Amino acid sequence: MTTTQHETTVWPWIVMAAAGLLTFVASMSVSPDVVQGQLSRIMYVHVPAAWLAYLAFGVTMVASGMYLWKKDLKWDRRALASAEIGVVFTGLAIALGMVWAKPTWGVWWTWDSRLTLTAIMFFVYLGYLALRRTTDALDVRAKRAAILGVVAAVQIPLVHFSVVWWRGLHQAPSLIRPEPPEMDTAILLTLLLAVAAFTAMYVAMMFKRIELARLDDRVLVAEQTSSGPVAGEAVTAPDIARGS
Amino acid sequence: MSTGFLHQSSTITRRDLLRERRSGEVLWVTLPFGAIALLLVPLAIGTDAPTLQRIGPGMFWVIVMLFGVLIAIRQTNSETTAQRDLVALTGLDPAAIYVGKAFASFLLLLVFEVVLGAVTIALYDVSPSGWLVLPFVLVLAAAGLSLLGTLAAGIVATGQSATALVPLLVAPLSVPLLLGATQALEAIRLGRSSLSWVLLMTIVVLLLAVAGVLSARPLQETA
Repeated sequence: MTTTQHETTVWPWIVMAAAGLLTFVASMSVSPDVVQGQLSRIMYVHVPAAWLAYLAFGVTMVASGMYLWKKDLKWDRRALASAEIGVVFTGLAIALGMVWAKPTWGVWWTWDSRLTLTAIMFFVYLGYLALRRTTDALDVRAKRAAILGVVAAVQIPLVHFSVVWWRGLHQAPSLIRPEPPEMDTAILLTLLLAVAAFTAMYVAMMFKRIELARLDDRVLVAEQTSSGPVAGEAVTAPDIARGS
Repeated sequence: MSTGFLHQSSTITRRDLLRERRSGEVLWVTLPFGAIALLLVPLAIGTDAPTLQRIGPGMFWVIVMLFGVLIAIRQTNSETTAQRDLVALTGLDPAAIYVGKAFASFLLLLVFEVVLGAVTIALYDVSPSGWLVLPFVLVLAAAGLSLLGTLAAGIVATGQSATALVPLLVAPLSVPLLLGATQALEAIRLGRSSLSWVLLMTIVVLLLAVAGVLSARPLQETA
């Protein structure tokens, strides 16, 4: 197997580290919220993580659709990479939300529509990843996953607008909504900066994960096409000429 | 929709119903299993009559969704790869096969809902509300679940862990149907319009039907 230029690229690691550092410094520099105090700093990771979940699953849907149209495995790898990142960040958003909820609402979990639907979306994409493990045939796996990748995207608007459609404890959308955001300028700018940093982190993660998926596929193809040891290879034919 | 398509679909539906008549899987296994689940809940949470009256409708829908998955995916368990290949070789339209299978599941799910509804009324002393809307909700829930289950069974097909994986895919994706069904009847109980919930269920059913029909051929190629 040859080593390509992409396999040694280091810029994604630098971007990931820089984005993480930038988010940390920005969220620690801004003044704490008047009501929530230091606890409000969780929002600078929770909100961008939730945003990345939407973005990642949206990209999975688009890439799945593109695979079904173009039948090019590069779209399948993009869908996989994005779904995996989406699952990680959905899990992070749920976990941080729970950490925030305990001192604020008094419970780790409440049956709020946004929370419940986000947990369900998490399981839908876990199912997507589990489906991908059921077969090693690249085209078969890609086609099945692509169909689920498109169908599963129904959940995304449901999760986002759940706080508008059903009244619950979770606050209404802060950034993605028709009206301008109602929050302090410093908090809003920090939040937007964190969202931008997380988006850059997503791009870098996508790059590395796609690279890994490409290598995985190459190994799989090599395993499936390589001629393994043939049964009876160790047995030598009798030497007929010598009459043995 | 051509006559050929309808004929092919109805042939598949008849085959699946005939198979059910012979095996009795839904009638003699899944249905009693669902009824037992309805019987077990009060034993676990207490037999306080007002509480049971309050949770009865919700329990009915949860049982329908979870056990209905077993009905919708029964073909995944019973059909072998050879049988699927044989059906594919007959040249039937994959979309017609999908529609035929989903329609058979729909009919079985409808029977399942009606029988389980009667059990819920008897055990939980529930007074059903919205007699005009209830049939629509039952039909839409059965249609959505059968379309979703058939689609998921097609996606997983011959996977090694198909039996476990299909419920994992179907259960979370059936949430819009569960919400629509419970909230439509709750809205009627509270004297509000249930139109938006019925509309949500209708849209989900239509989307699933379109997704199932469009993906039928690519999925058959991967089976």
